[in-house]
Amino acid sequence: MFEFLNQQEVIKTIVTIGSMVLFFVGLFGLLTRKHIIKIFISIAIMESSIFLLFIGLTFNTDFIAPILDNTHVNVSNMNDPVPHAMLLTAIVIGMAVLALGVSFAIEYFKLTGKTDINEMNEMKH
Amino acid sequence: MNLKRDLPTSTLSGFALSGLLILTLLNILLQNMPDNIQTAGNELLKLNANEGVANAVTTVVVYFRGFDTLGEIAVLFIASLGLGLMLHSNTRCDIKAESNFMLQTASKLLFPIILLFGIYVMIYGHLSPGGGFQGGVIIASGVLLLLISHKEFEVPHSVIVALETFAGVSYVLIGLIGLLVLDTFLGNFLPHDISQMGMLISGGIIPIIYIIVGIKVGSEMSMIVQNLIKRSDDV
Amino acid sequence: MSSILFIALPLLFGFATPILSKFGKNGVAYTSMLMQMFLLYLAIDLVSTTSSYVEIISIAPPLGISFVLNSASLFFVTIFTFLITLFSLYYLTHRKTDAYENETKFFILLNMLLASSIGLVLSSDIFNIYVFFEIAGISAYILSAYKKTPSALEAGLKYLLTGAVASVFLVFAIALIYINVGSLNLAVISQSFEALPYNIKVLISILLLIGFGFKVEIFPLNFWVTDVYQGSSALVNALFSGIIVKAYLFVFFHILYLFLPSGEFSVFLVYLGAVSMLVAEIVGLKQTNLKRLFAYSSLGQVALIFTAFAMQNKEGIQAALFIVLAHSIAKFIIFLALTSIQGEHKSIHIETLKELNSPFLRAIMLIAMFSLLGIPLFAGFVGKFLALKSFAVEGMFVILMIIVISSLIESVYYFKLSGYMFSKGKKREVLNIGSTQKIVFVLLAFLLIFIGIAPFMISNFLGDSANILLDAKSYSDMLGGV
Repeated sequence: MFEFLNQQEVIKTIVTIGSMVLFFVGLFGLLTRKHIIKIFISIAIMESSIFLLFIGLTFNTDFIAPILDNTHVNVSNMNDPVPHAMLLTAIVIGMAVLALGVSFAIEYFKLTGKTDINEMNEMKH
Repeated sequence: MNLKRDLPTSTLSGFALSGLLILTLLNILLQNMPDNIQTAGNELLKLNANEGVANAVTTVVVYFRGFDTLGEIAVLFIASLGLGLMLHSNTRCDIKAESNFMLQTASKLLFPIILLFGIYVMIYGHLSPGGGFQGGVIIASGVLLLLISHKEFEVPHSVIVALETFAGVSYVLIGLIGLLVLDTFLGNFLPHDISQMGMLISGGIIPIIYIIVGIKVGSEMSMIVQNLIKRSDDV
Repeated sequence: MSSILFIALPLLFGFATPILSKFGKNGVAYTSMLMQMFLLYLAIDLVSTTSSYVEIISIAPPLGISFVLNSASLFFVTIFTFLITLFSLYYLTHRKTDAYENETKFFILLNMLLASSIGLVLSSDIFNIYVFFEIAGISAYILSAYKKTPSALEAGLKYLLTGAVASVFLVFAIALIYINVGSLNLAVISQSFEALPYNIKVLISILLLIGFGFKVEIFPLNFWVTDVYQGSSALVNALFSGIIVKAYLFVFFHILYLFLPSGEFSVFLVYLGAVSMLVAEIVGLKQTNLKRLFAYSSLGQVALIFTAFAMQNKEGIQAALFIVLAHSIAKFIIFLALTSIQGEHKSIHIETLKELNSPFLRAIMLIAMFSLLGIPLFAGFVGKFLALKSFAVEGMFVILMIIVISSLIESVYYFKLSGYMFSKGKKREVLNIGSTQKIVFVLLAFLLIFIGIAPFMISNFLGDSANILLDAKSYSDMLGGV
């Protein structure tokens, strides 16, 4: 009964809507939350939504994974390996930047005791 | 009821504006989903057979886009450097609570298995899904398990620095040797017959580079995790 | 000599520092200095070969990554290596008075910054540009928070937050480009970008503008700049305003000229740049903290470079390249001088200039400020004059008025600063500048005067660079596009 869900366009539509909702949830959190760790989590959510969108839209469900062996030698029905490679790099870079940000926040909290981003005004005009 | 007082207009207009934004974005994205363009990945898949490696994603990550992988290793290196700069201190503080006896015993049993699995994923990265990054993160998660369950466990700083230095220097040196021998940076200068596809020793420098990447990622993630747990705590 | 060495050697240095620090206390510092001098020699050697060529990394384009060396990118590479070499020379004597703790990390970050700025300028693959973008960003965040004081940490946090948001938008744009075009090579994308439907073209352009706009410091995305400059130390501010922002400017406009060669959005960008400059100069009038004041001045000058690049014609780009050279050298002089001054006084308030007692520094800073103002016989005048001429040629008189008004406002506070420096008040004791540092200052000031007096020495070279940047078709032919 649910055969129509297997079609390419339906899957891609669902993935697009889902990842855009996630992106805007992250953007909402980034703009309205004041605690610095919540802001980092919102940025992580935004990044994850973009990765989901990217993989969802370049993935063809009729094709197989891009790994060759004795039975799978024909490359014309294999998925695209470049988005996977790009995402490996992008995920690691995003994680590294956020880990660094958390360490800055920890050290700042240790020195001043503030986590509210509106109160961080060491530099008065 | 007084409409102006009961309904907060700024919140409603904010919602309306963001709803409009979401709908516009979705409209644009849903109209543009081309599904049969000839991407660069299809060309690279056809070239993959020349390298003699079974896992096409590994070839793309290590060889065709090896420069991006080098840049990503640099990002991870600088991030762990910055983290060590921020959180390093001479007064170490260990975790206050003693962990459960079951956790201590089980973690001692699980750690060798996790380590072995991580090394397996790292070494067989060019034959099945996996590779250096994935294996390195698995090893780091094993180290995290030991750090949480035992209060006095600490990976010695000199061991991590030695592993990191060895892996980083050899990665760039392999690239420079490729520059000397084949006139392109990170060229594949070891033999890579297509007849060897599927064997452990195949693909030239690709498995070697992925193992080096795995060692580097594993040691750096372990250092990041250790710095975050064992920082000084005089708040 | 391969241009990969610009990236590979600093990376090798960075990874091998535990080995190098076994050679005594100064092993890392002197190795870094030697490596930078070698890279400067390599840059000058590559500039003197006149043709542009493509350097392949592991597989030929358009499937793989490659570096494109033409006169435009080599101009920037030479500026970066030259300025970093002088910076290291200054720092080698400065560290005797005010050493940074854990100095090997400082040298690693400095060299990573150099490598990533050069990589941004040379690369021809959009995902590679994103990776170098991140390397430059993460080195800058740590350099900004290096001293670990509360204001430095706050500056690092703000910088990191805005940079992380910028990179999210940039990844979104790259994902959309790959889904719709199918390739990551700039030449292939530039050939297929025209044929895309209009709405996805606008979406990708807006995302790229937001992603790069945070780093290129245009209004309204430059709220973070002045806080970051005030919180970091003055030594690091020289790197930020002299090297990093120029690399980001080049990449943004390089991509713009390749994707939209017919200048569809250029009018909008020109107005955006002019408004940024006006706002930056007006707000900068009432600042009393010296680092913050020079940060607003830097915002104004960068907005002027942005406006000149956005004109998308040969005179505008030539003017922008002149201003890039003049501004980088002048801001380097000013921030290195502020570092020397700060060693004696703890805060950099505008009143401390009244007590400055070093005729050498006063003369050098005066030369730099005259160049930034645009007084004739200094390098800044050539750039500003060419920019105003390019606005007048196109008939954009509103922009001309806005730029002239902004320059007048800028001159108000520069003359105020000069007045403070030469006032007859109570002075502190004499500030001694080391002889190596004097050589650095004199060399930079001499360059400003030399380019101001004889701009024709490099104007042909810059005209060729402008033509190369505008020519999207020959770029894609060189890379063997689709």
